[in-house]
Amino acid sequence: MNDPHVTSSAKLNRGNGNNTEKYAPAQSGVKHFDTEDIANAVNIGLCVVNAAGKVLLWNDWISKHSGIKETDALNQPLEQVFSEQISPAFLSALKNSLTHKLPVVLSTALHRTPLPLYHEFELGIQQPRMYQSISMTPLRSQHNEPCCLIQVTDSSTSIKREKILRSHSEILKKEATTDGLTDICNRRFFDAHYEIAVADAKRQKYPLAIFMVDIDFFKPYNDHYGHLAGDAVIKQVANTLKLQLSRATDIVARYGGEEFVLVMPHLAQDIAEKFAEKLRAAVFNLAIPHIKSPSFHQITISIGVCSGIPEKNDNLLNKADTALYQAKQKGRNQCVSISLCETTEYLEQ
Amino acid sequence: MNNLSELHLDALAEVFSIGAGRAALSLSEIVGDEVRISVPSVQLINAEDINPATLSLNCGQFGAVNQHFSGPFNAEAMLLFTEEQALKIVSDMMGSQMSLEELAEFEHEAMCELGNIILNACLSAMADILGFTLESSLPHYAVASANEILSRLRKDNSQPYVMVLHIDLAIEKRHTAGNLVFLLSSASLTNLVSHVDQFLNKLL
Amino acid sequence: MHMDKPTKKLLIVDDSKVSRMLIRSHILAKHPDWVITEAACGEDAIALVDNDLPDYCTMDINMPGISGTDATEQILSKHPSVKIVIFSANIQETHQERARSLGTTLVSKPVTEKSIALALDYLANA
Repeated sequence: MNDPHVTSSAKLNRGNGNNTEKYAPAQSGVKHFDTEDIANAVNIGLCVVNAAGKVLLWNDWISKHSGIKETDALNQPLEQVFSEQISPAFLSALKNSLTHKLPVVLSTALHRTPLPLYHEFELGIQQPRMYQSISMTPLRSQHNEPCCLIQVTDSSTSIKREKILRSHSEILKKEATTDGLTDICNRRFFDAHYEIAVADAKRQKYPLAIFMVDIDFFKPYNDHYGHLAGDAVIKQVANTLKLQLSRATDIVARYGGEEFVLVMPHLAQDIAEKFAEKLRAAVFNLAIPHIKSPSFHQITISIGVCSGIPEKNDNLLNKADTALYQAKQKGRNQCVSISLCETTEYLEQ
Repeated sequence: MNNLSELHLDALAEVFSIGAGRAALSLSEIVGDEVRISVPSVQLINAEDINPATLSLNCGQFGAVNQHFSGPFNAEAMLLFTEEQALKIVSDMMGSQMSLEELAEFEHEAMCELGNIILNACLSAMADILGFTLESSLPHYAVASANEILSRLRKDNSQPYVMVLHIDLAIEKRHTAGNLVFLLSSASLTNLVSHVDQFLNKLL
Repeated sequence: MHMDKPTKKLLIVDDSKVSRMLIRSHILAKHPDWVITEAACGEDAIALVDNDLPDYCTMDINMPGISGTDATEQILSKHPSVKIVIFSANIQETHQERARSLGTTLVSKPVTEKSIALALDYLANA
């Protein structure tokens, strides 16, 4: 439950018809508190308007954040109480709630600042309005008059809290999503990220590029130089690939043993091809000796690229993998690019 | 009694198409663009006969907005979209360039509001046309798997009937489909049918 | 009041039987002598108008097949004398504008005494 506002109002409203009893003195026994004291003590805005739109309750919280005293608000039409405009969405929601006697919510997400409320009032300083979450609940007055209870919460704090929670969970997430050896993203992160990236490219109709990268003749290297040296090569290649990325939207992940994958949004085929060549050259220029590599005698990589605007069943990853296979077949230390619209059968001819 | 006649279903379809029109008007005021909502079909099903196909609950996670309402009959209303669709709707409604992660932050509240608009519009149309008053709780939003939703629908023996409305929603040329589900007790179904009968009798 | 007026022919176009019944019963309550025919979709409505020209027509928008607004456009281009009022649950600005541009008006559903009175008023004075 990440929205305390909704939960608490739902509780208040349970059994709906009982609302009047909550605000009227208990039928039997003594009334322990004055309802108005409670209304003024709570840390949310409370305001009641009747069917004619006149204010019947105006708590301290609302006074504080609107700069309007209770005495200036009571019995006035709500629209005239504020000197600034109330959002049309708020007014039509209030009208709906009063007409149909149904509860209505206005989310921060879609409305931000329906009422002219502020955190603090300082003379002469124009401040931004407070972000608000609002709910409206039908209510009957003690004279059985249909009314509407408006509850306002300050959602700037909940947005902040959510951001803190998110950054906290991001730290936790980092451990679960980072590859222990190379410190780049792991397979798990890639799987989740890939799905989101494809969905987003589909929706916004922009080209997405996927690069599958594999270290050539890695097994012979491991066998000859040993596993520790093999690990060191994987780390160096991962780091080199990572250094080529400059945009926040791009990621490189360790896909498997000596395989890597890069996801780069907004990259058309021709630019993706050039970028793949840059990746290949960067690893080649490391000039790590590999005497068991038959043709190059140093560490090299093969790259398969696929770029395009994904549609319904397009599988960028499969095509990039096919391209990588072709790069291997053609002799390694090279890039092969497949555009998303080409069919694989055509290429294999 | 357990079966609604063609005419009953037609009357309910008309009621809900008016509700859909009201909801579309409210939503279009928020998004500042045309919103189309239609209710292509209304079905009544025994809760035990409900299966994933009836609700197009194929896979993945679903966003469900719940409101409990009471009056001449009581029911649990649930509006269902796949979570993916829910995020798209929120993004269309907010009209923003936000990343999916950022949108998820607003999903909960914005879906509550969207559900509230659609549910209230359907409830108020029903109340106005069939001539009664309904009270309702505030909306509650939860994300659940298809299995969780199905077992929730089947579990409650006191509400053996399920009225399913297929909902088509189009915001800015993007179509999404969802379902609005009402869980009804036998007594509530009888009361609903008798209100529809009273309404129809006036026409004959 | 309707005694001194000649009997009118009205065509009700709506895919919902209940909605047609509602419109029919409300109109007959005010004008028991009117001759009423019904169509359940735009295509049928166009064929019916070609066969037997009505004075008035009420038109739903959302129907299977062509929309009520498209049907209205086709009917009016052939038979400009027919007075059409569009009845719809969808009263967003785009639909109101479309109705105005076709030279008709849009009346908001549900079908009630009040909305029927608005529609009849428009038909009588259009």
